[in-house]
Amino acid sequence: MARRARTHSRHLAGGGHLSAPSHPGAVLVARDLRKDYPVGGETVHALRGVSLSVGRGEHVAIVGPSGSGKSTLLQLLGGIDTPSAGSVEVLGTRLERLSDRDLTRLRLLRLGFVFQRFHLLPVLTARENVELPMAEAGVKSAERRARALELLEYVGLSGRAGHRATQLSGGEMQRVAIARALANQPAVLLADEPTGELDAATGQEILELFRRLNRDGATLVVVTHDERLAREAGRTVTMFDGRIADR
Amino acid sequence: MTGLGWGIRSLGRHPLRTGLSLAGIAVAAAMLLDMVMLSGGIDKSFGDLLLQRGYQIRITPKGTLPFDTEASLPGARRLVRTLRSDPDVATAGAILGSAVYARTPDSLVTLFGYGVQPESQGIYRVMAGADLAPADTTGLLLSAAAAAVLGGARVGDTVMLAGRLDPQIAAAAEDRSLVVRGMVEWLYDYRGQPSVGAVLPVMQRLARQATGDPASLVLVRARADSMVEPLVARLRADYPTLEVNSVVELVAQAKRRLSYFTQLAHVLGAMSLVVTVLLIGTLLTITVNERLGEIATLRAIGIGKATVVSQVLAEGVALTVIGSALGVLLGLATARYLDAILTSFPGLPAAFSFFVPRADTLTQAAVVLLVTGSLAGLYPAWLAARAPIAATLRAEAT
Repeated sequence: MARRARTHSRHLAGGGHLSAPSHPGAVLVARDLRKDYPVGGETVHALRGVSLSVGRGEHVAIVGPSGSGKSTLLQLLGGIDTPSAGSVEVLGTRLERLSDRDLTRLRLLRLGFVFQRFHLLPVLTARENVELPMAEAGVKSAERRARALELLEYVGLSGRAGHRATQLSGGEMQRVAIARALANQPAVLLADEPTGELDAATGQEILELFRRLNRDGATLVVVTHDERLAREAGRTVTMFDGRIADR
Repeated sequence: MTGLGWGIRSLGRHPLRTGLSLAGIAVAAAMLLDMVMLSGGIDKSFGDLLLQRGYQIRITPKGTLPFDTEASLPGARRLVRTLRSDPDVATAGAILGSAVYARTPDSLVTLFGYGVQPESQGIYRVMAGADLAPADTTGLLLSAAAAAVLGGARVGDTVMLAGRLDPQIAAAAEDRSLVVRGMVEWLYDYRGQPSVGAVLPVMQRLARQATGDPASLVLVRARADSMVEPLVARLRADYPTLEVNSVVELVAQAKRRLSYFTQLAHVLGAMSLVVTVLLIGTLLTITVNERLGEIATLRAIGIGKATVVSQVLAEGVALTVIGSALGVLLGLATARYLDAILTSFPGLPAAFSFFVPRADTLTQAAVVLLVTGSLAGLYPAWLAARAPIAATLRAEAT
């Protein structure tokens, strides 16, 4: 545990170059977010004014029925998509003011993403997949190799580092994806249905990994249908029809 | 993991599809290689052939090619003596070509006869035995094909040669008994041509051209390549009744006459390039469309457009490099096969080659192929770069 805690302190407490957020202690701040999609000549209001603040070290679960806007909110919080109105602040940086290149850089260095479909590169090994964001960030080869091996050990896959993604089980692939998300010591880990493709037992493993991550200080925002995963969160945000129903 | 390494590994995702594409690229590259060798090969081969023994100038009767007609230039030995005394001339030698006959126990065999000046000859290489001495009026040189039609004649054997037949009495005007001194390779013979050689006066008699000292052509070697052009100009002025050409001029003439070969090669080469681009572009476009979810995820986790684009381009480069390497092997094999067919046409020197690899043109072709192969990845790379991240991830999740 002590080793894991040490690993955490090296890999999870990121965002060292950031300016102070306008909400003291807040890592993520969303203000009156709106997102409209044109669908077949009509406008779908996916988000109808969502405001949310996530503090450092918080574990927030976003739940709600399908189509309620959970994933859209997560994409806006992560700078993957742009809001129709409103703003998102990540560690004091207003995302709408960033160029595409700077936004990509922010996602690389300050945010970690875990998706339902793990989307590891099948031609790379587990270690190489974890190294990928570090290589993009310009981390030197020896350092990123060592860090990738540490992260794989953290997620319990030290013996699978040399295996290609196609040789891993679903649960193993998701754990590699989590290690990849932690590669550049992000300030926040954003997960979209991380257990959605996994059976109950494997989902439990991921749940325990998230629990450990949060205990080690990681800030987590998890979109999920999985009640067990939602129960692990310190705060649950329920979405309904593009709005936050309660907090 | 570099972009190229990643690209090469990515090609292994669909081995059959990649294999078929590589086969297509290899065929197109082989065709391009062959066309490049063909476009520059004829004149290169022709030039090399004419310069094999270093004689840069040919003097022939006006308006003819050597051995094409009965035309001959008179006073050959006097002309050669004059040329040899020229300070710009290293050496010169006359050659007479004529049909001769060899008597075998039951028939006459038709041969091609060369009259040569052995001390200054540029048309054969001694393969076995000895060369003729300049005054050897009883010696004979045989090609392997001539030895074969003479029943396996060897060095030291005696061969009875007959001069031109008199059509009135069907008898030879001249019979000479000659001893085989050496087996030679005649540089301008077509494949299987039975040729023999004797010193010039002997062949003149056998050809019934003893008077006038005729020759079919005279070869001249200048002391330096830089002297060739002024020497040709001077000889033209000195001998206005003769045709004086440098090898460079002859190659240029041949090139003009065979320009359709070059045009054909350029058209087919361009088509093979287009096929390569289409193959690579199609494969990479399919690949990118299949991997949109993966690409969107990479972009979402902060992988830049430049990395995604370079990875797609790297796959294009990897396909081009591997396909081209296979294409070189295939191209060389097909060039050899096609060359064997083309050079078996009657009248073409066996040493002539249509497909000649030249470092400069092959390098140009390789660069063009690599550049176009890489450019073929531009459209799929653009598709990958502009993939909408959020929409693709939403579509993937449903």
